[in-house]
Amino acid sequence: MIHLENVSVTYRLIRERRSTFQAHIINYLKGKRVEIETLRALQGVSLDVSRGESLGIIGHNGAGKSTLLKVISGVIKPVEGTIQVEGRIAPLIELTAGFDPELTGRENIYLNASILGFSRREIDRKCDRIIDFSELQEFIDSPLKNYSSGMVSRLGFSIATEVDPDILIIDEVLAVGDASFKRKSMERIREFRNNGITILFVSHNMEEIGFLCGTVVWLDHGSIKMIGEPGMVIQSYDSQQVGCPL
Amino acid sequence: MRSLKEFTEILRYRELLRNLIERDIKKRYKRSALGFLWVMLDPLLMMLIFYLVFAGLFRNVVGNYIAYVISGIVMWQLFAQGTKVASTAFLQNRNLISKINLPTAIFPVAIVGSSVAHFLFSLIPLFIIILFSGTTPSYYMPLLPVVVILIIVFSIGVSLTISMLTVFFHDVLYIYEVILVGWMYLSAIFYPVSILPRQLQTLMSINPLYHYISLFRACIYDTTLPLMEHLVFGTAFALVSFALGWTIYIRNRDKIIFYI
Repeated sequence: MIHLENVSVTYRLIRERRSTFQAHIINYLKGKRVEIETLRALQGVSLDVSRGESLGIIGHNGAGKSTLLKVISGVIKPVEGTIQVEGRIAPLIELTAGFDPELTGRENIYLNASILGFSRREIDRKCDRIIDFSELQEFIDSPLKNYSSGMVSRLGFSIATEVDPDILIIDEVLAVGDASFKRKSMERIREFRNNGITILFVSHNMEEIGFLCGTVVWLDHGSIKMIGEPGMVIQSYDSQQVGCPL
Repeated sequence: MRSLKEFTEILRYRELLRNLIERDIKKRYKRSALGFLWVMLDPLLMMLIFYLVFAGLFRNVVGNYIAYVISGIVMWQLFAQGTKVASTAFLQNRNLISKINLPTAIFPVAIVGSSVAHFLFSLIPLFIIILFSGTTPSYYMPLLPVVVILIIVFSIGVSLTISMLTVFFHDVLYIYEVILVGWMYLSAIFYPVSILPRQLQTLMSINPLYHYISLFRACIYDTTLPLMEHLVFGTAFALVSFALGWTIYIRNRDKIIFYI
């Protein structure tokens, strides 16, 4: 389903961000060349995820978790290595990135679902289910700027999970809404898992990881440090964290 | 090959294209009291200003000055507004581009699209004025869609080029704004070409906008214009512009995310 072989990603970190002609010319005359430092965000990562597997991804900040998800969803092209992904991906990455505060909830459903590549007919069909799940019937025709942030996240979650994906990518988004909606979202994700949908899940919450995932990958400085059964990986990860002052 | 893949991706996302255009129109006019009327008032007011300032000068040189000016403005706005806003298309949408995999070209193309929507609305006051000023509509009118398609293709090419350059050099934004001002004055919108010195007149043929505006005038009211010549130039410029913009886009598409 997902096959990564020896994938590396480098970011360019320009020491002095120089994106004007003037700066380019002045520095060129001074004989300075742009100093580009590169950051290896992923280094030789090989990974296989089969259909229906739920994979948890853990690691400290900057370990490459989000980069890995972006490579799989195709946002970033790796400098080395090959990727094969089969099936429709639904990214639950920052659910609200595509929202527009001036538009109503309903208009945002259409906008956001089309960002995920849906046709009008498909959205028409799903619209009511999305509204139902979000529990926002009363507000659906008011502009989003009048929503509370919890309501916005609820709408985002409802859209992203109503798309019948083959692969669901979740990046730290379960902290949406109040306790009861949170329970409902967790329930829905579990349902996805039980229906054989592949799940990639990034979280710092080891409890959620343990609860949802069948396999866990521990990323450290862009490479896989450990991969295996959740209990074992989480334990070694936790024991390494103990050394760090918090 | 990659080109083709990207192209089919854009087609697959046509619903998004439509939603982006709709959003732009809704947002721009939702808050103003006169709403959609502004689309029509805008070219009218501009025409009025040009008319008051220049009619005395050019009325005797240009046969139908009102029709001349308003057709020039409407066509110029279609191009200038679209490409100017499109120049920031990738920067404005960095939030989406860096998170979700979609054919990025859709953003500048959508902006050109909403500019086309505005153009279509502004055709209403244009035709009202043409009819009220006693002008006979041109028998080339059926060619109008062809002319509009040509300028759209040209604008998309320019938008892709400028928006991509802007990602790497922010200066391009400001440079392009200055270029647009100069370009407007060089496009014979409110003055007749005949007042220019002979050398400049021949140079006009390398100004793509001059051809599109002339074609538009030919389709609206002025049947004396050399339609064939403008059509050949207009088509050539549209193809070159699109080929250039598309090539630049395809080559740099994957780098955008590291720069925005």
